Amino acid sequence: MHRSAQQEANPVSPLGRPVEGISMSAPPPARAVAARPMVDAAARAQADTDIDTDADAGPQRLSPWFGLTGLLLLATLLAAVFVQARQYTLLNLTVQYQDDYLALSLQQVETEYLRLREQLRRDSNPADSTALQLRYDVFVSRVSLLGGDRTRRLLSNAGDSASTLGDLDGFIRQADLYLGAAPHAPFSPQAASTLLQALEALDTPIHQLMLDATHRVAAQVTERQAQVRNHNQIGLALTAFLVAMVLLFALIMLRQVRSLELRRHRLSRLADELRDARIEAESASDAKSEFLADMSHELRTPLHGLLGMLSLIKDAPRDPRAGDWLLTADESAQHLRRLLDDILDLSKLDAGSLALTPSAVSLVDLLREVRSLLQPSALAKGLTLQVDIDPALPPLALLDGTRVRQVLFNLVTNAIKYSEVGVVTLQCRQLAQDGHDKTPGAGGQAAGRNDRAPGAGGQAPGAAHRQAMVEFSVSDTGIGMDRETVSRLFRRHSRAEDVRAWRQSGTGLGLAISRNLARLMGGEILVRSTLEAGSVFSFHCPLHPVNEAPAPSLAAAPGPVEISEQPARPLQVLVAEDHPVNRLYLAALLARLGHQVKLVDNGLEAVRAMQPEPGTGPDVAAAASPVLASPFDLILMDVHMPVMDGVVASQAIRQLPGPAGQVCIVAITADVFDDTRARCMAAGVVEVVTKPLSLDALRALLVRRFGDAAGLPPSAVAPASEPVTNPAHSLLDRNTVHNVCGLMGSDKAPSLYGSFFTQADDAARRMRVAMRDADPEALRRSAHTVKGAALNLGLPALAAAAALLTNEAGTLAAAPLALAVQRFEELTQASRALCAGEGLLR
Amino acid sequence: MQRRNVLRLGAAALPTASIAVSALALDAPTGPVVLTVFSRLRDGRPGNPVQFDMAMLERLPQTAYSTRTPWYGQACKFSGPLLRDVLSCAGLRGSQLRLEALNAYRVDIPFDDVLQHDVLLARLLDDKPMAVRDKGPLFVIYPFEQHAALRNAVYHSRCVWQLRSIEVS
Repeated sequence: MHRSAQQEANPVSPLGRPVEGISMSAPPPARAVAARPMVDAAARAQADTDIDTDADAGPQRLSPWFGLTGLLLLATLLAAVFVQARQYTLLNLTVQYQDDYLALSLQQVETEYLRLREQLRRDSNPADSTALQLRYDVFVSRVSLLGGDRTRRLLSNAGDSASTLGDLDGFIRQADLYLGAAPHAPFSPQAASTLLQALEALDTPIHQLMLDATHRVAAQVTERQAQVRNHNQIGLALTAFLVAMVLLFALIMLRQVRSLELRRHRLSRLADELRDARIEAESASDAKSEFLADMSHELRTPLHGLLGMLSLIKDAPRDPRAGDWLLTADESAQHLRRLLDDILDLSKLDAGSLALTPSAVSLVDLLREVRSLLQPSALAKGLTLQVDIDPALPPLALLDGTRVRQVLFNLVTNAIKYSEVGVVTLQCRQLAQDGHDKTPGAGGQAAGRNDRAPGAGGQAPGAAHRQAMVEFSVSDTGIGMDRETVSRLFRRHSRAEDVRAWRQSGTGLGLAISRNLARLMGGEILVRSTLEAGSVFSFHCPLHPVNEAPAPSLAAAPGPVEISEQPARPLQVLVAEDHPVNRLYLAALLARLGHQVKLVDNGLEAVRAMQPEPGTGPDVAAAASPVLASPFDLILMDVHMPVMDGVVASQAIRQLPGPAGQVCIVAITADVFDDTRARCMAAGVVEVVTKPLSLDALRALLVRRFGDAAGLPPSAVAPASEPVTNPAHSLLDRNTVHNVCGLMGSDKAPSLYGSFFTQADDAARRMRVAMRDADPEALRRSAHTVKGAALNLGLPALAAAAALLTNEAGTLAAAPLALAVQRFEELTQASRALCAGEGLLR
Repeated sequence: MQRRNVLRLGAAALPTASIAVSALALDAPTGPVVLTVFSRLRDGRPGNPVQFDMAMLERLPQTAYSTRTPWYGQACKFSGPLLRDVLSCAGLRGSQLRLEALNAYRVDIPFDDVLQHDVLLARLLDDKPMAVRDKGPLFVIYPFEQHAALRNAVYHSRCVWQLRSIEVS
């Protein structure tokens, strides 16, 4: 039992493992589908185990019953055998004693007595009567029977039987004198009369004796019958009991068999479920591999484009087509980024780590935003983008605006993409409370009779029927889809037309993500489509109207929204970031938007920078009244930093007194994990943004936090570049230098060039050392570090010298090599002088 | 008497070997007749009786066994010819025997009994002749010790003592 209990308990853990395994390896959406049955199966297995444990306990409970019944059965059988044996013995005794037969033969004594008396009375001459002799002999033979043991036993209690027997003996002794084997005296008539007298005297006793015997036998028979009846009754009772026991036994057996059958059935069902789960898991794994293969291909395509364009530019930087190539490269990079964003979204959705952040959102503003962003691409294709909104809708609804926007972007973008002429309509309306109003509105005219997308369920979930829903339907007059296409539509990475390249800006994941998002919101995306007539995608989700007074701004964040009313001014931004490249990058971006930046490389420094120390504040006002103003308007805080990480630093800053403790802190992280986000929010961070932060994203962040003005680059920045047609020989490529300055900001460029020349000097020193050590590989490495940077900074002559050294370090003889190094040094000096002259060096 | 017997044999038309052999042993009774064997003819009349005196019975093959009976307290030894030998000696066959005792006690037994069992026509009890008062002179005894199935009232009733005649039908 112990052993089997273990065996019963074990199946749960083997089950548990596959579930985990799947969650680790399978592609998330398929996993979500596959894992659920697995979990169900596991749960059922658990349940079955519980039941099985019960069933196990069953036999344990049954065992005593079994034993008891068995013992009773055995006892009954033994009793039955005993009774039978008793009956058999009784019967045998009856046969042996033959008392009733004995009684019969005793009756014969009386008969013979009467015959003898008759004969004696009749015979005139008894002396030679053979008949009398025979009668007498027969009578004696009969009387001799009375002397037998059994007869005596039979007659033992019968009154005066003993005296009767004595009388009989006396008579025989008397008669034997005349009629015995050896007569002593002749049988005279006198003797005969004497004998007759004696004989007649015996009449009554003999008769009484026979009656006694008869009554005695009758009593014995009755007694024996009673005994037999008694035994029969016992036998009957035993038989009845036996039958009852057998029935009970059979019942117990039946129960056992049933329970076994039930268990077998459960086990086989469990096996079926496990098999199904395995098959699902396998297919999920296949789907994942397929997805990976597809995505790898998808990622390679723009990457190849990017690399190809870059190599073209690298080989011919001054080609007039270089601008186009750059554009193409940028396009590829953008596409690559979208792909990665989508994959990230999808994996977050699948891992269930994507958390919605509902807030009061104005539906009108949301739709207006979608229209304003997508109108240009619609117009570019000659399409009309029409946005209708049901006036009955509440002005504010509790929605995750970002995610709703994402879904709508996707749907409308698709509609525009697949329509060549006509109208794309985005309609927003409230579904009736009871949920029966499913007829499409204005968008429905394009609807054909096609089925809804399989898997869409075709109807809102039951719970939604009782809840107000908002429906966004996007209808187009595009190419439409056939049934099969519709059925494939929501699979990840499927596009209606594969011939359309990634240039269409579709990553193929959009619909899958949108549907997952819709479901996450408690809604659904349904599609109806008619080939050549158009499609209607309707996205609905629960509508939670916000009844409070509308907020003055529709910004999703509860942060300092009022700031938008402040006059535009450069923001004081503190960037805490340990990675120098990211730090410089953020600084450049912020500078480009016209804000002032202070850089620190860990959390502790950030906290120090926030501590109001008179005289060290970034501006005079802050220094003069440290309690009234925070030294910075915004802190961009990396989460993972040495010394003190962003979370701890944020907590520390929130502890600061006065406005410094209220500063707007935005955390930046590469993590996609929810708990990181949660930790940050708990530490007082107002928003968490993910790396890498693009210029657009940063601008959007600033607009969100500080109003529109904060996102606009100052007009002074990025002046129209005057074409530099004649770079000073090949020492300085003014075009490139201008780009660098544009990106970095003219005030940052000198430090960049400065650090480059420091690096170049260092490289030259190392080259000398390498030459002395005759280590061409070290020399090549040093030259290589300079080459790329020189090219990027618009110093082609220096780059060429470095390239020469890079390529020829292993082949040139010592003398030409020394000459090349010397030329490199000269060019470094020349370039430095030129840069200094151009104001690129401080 | 002998002639009559021979005639009866001829009339019976059952010239089996055993009968022929026993017929040779069949003499006229010289002593007192102790047993009369006769057949009942189809028309109901008795056939010619065959009479035995004790000497004739003595000359037949003798068998002896001990058995317990309801009439004696302990097992007794009974000796005498087998009933079937007596019957074949008399040259009679049938399906049923009617045994009759001196006191007119009568019982019918199937002929098969004498063929299946060694039914004894006892003339000696414990090697002594039996007087009439000792249930003699002839006592039919079944082998009760040999067959337990015989130990019941039916077979006990078939044990006729003071046997006088046998009627074969």
